[in-house]
Amino acid sequence: MELTPDDTIVLTVGGFALNATILFTWIVMAILTAVSVLITRNLRPDVPPDRWRTTLEAIVLTIQSQIDEISARPDRRLLYFAGTLFLFIVTSNLLMIVPGWRSPTASLSTTAALALAVLVAAPLFGISSRGLGGYLHSYVEPNVIMLPFNIIGEFSRGVSLAIRLYGNVMSGAVIAAILLGVAPFFFPVVMDMLGLLTGVVQAYIFAILAIVYISSATTPPDSSSLPAQEQT
Amino acid sequence: MSIDSITVAAQLINFLVLVWLLKRFLYRPILDGIDARERQIAERMSEAARVCESAEKAAAEHRAEIQRLKAAREEALEQAHREAKAERDAMLSAARARLTSEQEAREAEREQEARRYTERLHRKGAAALVALTRKALGDLSDETLEERVVARTVSRLARMAGDLKAAAGDSREAVVTTSGTLPEELRARINEAVVGALPGTQVRYATEPGRSAGLSLRLGGAQLGWTVDDYVDGLQAILDDAGARKGRAGAA
Repeated sequence: MELTPDDTIVLTVGGFALNATILFTWIVMAILTAVSVLITRNLRPDVPPDRWRTTLEAIVLTIQSQIDEISARPDRRLLYFAGTLFLFIVTSNLLMIVPGWRSPTASLSTTAALALAVLVAAPLFGISSRGLGGYLHSYVEPNVIMLPFNIIGEFSRGVSLAIRLYGNVMSGAVIAAILLGVAPFFFPVVMDMLGLLTGVVQAYIFAILAIVYISSATTPPDSSSLPAQEQT
Repeated sequence: MSIDSITVAAQLINFLVLVWLLKRFLYRPILDGIDARERQIAERMSEAARVCESAEKAAAEHRAEIQRLKAAREEALEQAHREAKAERDAMLSAARARLTSEQEAREAEREQEARRYTERLHRKGAAALVALTRKALGDLSDETLEERVVARTVSRLARMAGDLKAAAGDSREAVVTTSGTLPEELRARINEAVVGALPGTQVRYATEPGRSAGLSLRLGGAQLGWTVDDYVDGLQAILDDAGARKGRAGAA
């Protein structure tokens, strides 16, 4: 049993092996881009929004409202980043109902890449918002003794993000595979339904945590109290 | 379970590309559309607020105009009432004046008619009295009225000679006035009596056809004579007294 789509080589071109993770990631990217283009191609102020455009607007505005609630300094770049995280993960997870679909988020490489993106984005947003000195100063707060602990905490955030997402998505697939052997006609349906729910919840949690991490990096410690981190 | 570094790098790049793609084809169009719609809504709200403000201003002006028109109407009504009252008062005053004038005219006409009637009655009474007196004198003493009047005047002249002299002063002309021409015989008797009572006095005779029967002798400021008017006035007083008694009896 293959636990990760990284092991599934779909195509090899010039010595470069294209695995299922990258292929299905491209498919998700294509779907998201195509849907966006289709819905927003005739977007004009004088044209009343149709149901698809209204759905997209509702999704975008919901993400924006979540960012506004969490972050003391709402930033559209944060919307681009966290919104893309959410849409990519939720699309990947929801497509698990398609037979033969291999979710890219079931790959630890994908979740690690996403966590790495958050790890890199947090200091970038922090430096952009507070300046390099202000951001680096946050590592020696409340005093310099906390420097190694802050660095470890920063790194552990990324690791926990990657493991959490990978574990939840991969475990769903593993449990489904196990139960398929026990009751092949009943449990797969239930697990698929559960997988849809957990897929959406995981996408939401990952995006929210990313927003929290980035917001904590962009907000001075004494400016506002940060919301408690959500745990699964 | 392992992490493929190449896959991680590829997924990181894929994710960044997806961020760019969604930013280009999803977020910006959607957010720009929302912003444009919100701007449009804000403009419409602003326009609606302006229209509302304009409408409220127009409504206020309209209310003020209504108040002004109402006040003007009240003023016009009040003015019309005042003018109507003034015109009514003027018409009433004119009617009262006309009525008073007509009443006065009728009263004057009635008084004039009464005077004319009295005069006619006076004349008729005098004529009747004279006629009766003439007839009575003719039947009883075979004398004319003029003869009797002259005799009466002559007798009184003799008795009142002293008073006449005092009243005449420097006047030496006695004027005898009658309604008709006196016969020469009667004139001679008068001349004789005047000369006898008032020596040096000339007698002149005058006639007044409209006067009542009788004779008057005027010497300076003194006058002596007899006319039927005194008797007619007495008759008129008797008739008036009788009419008044009849009126009181009818009222009782």
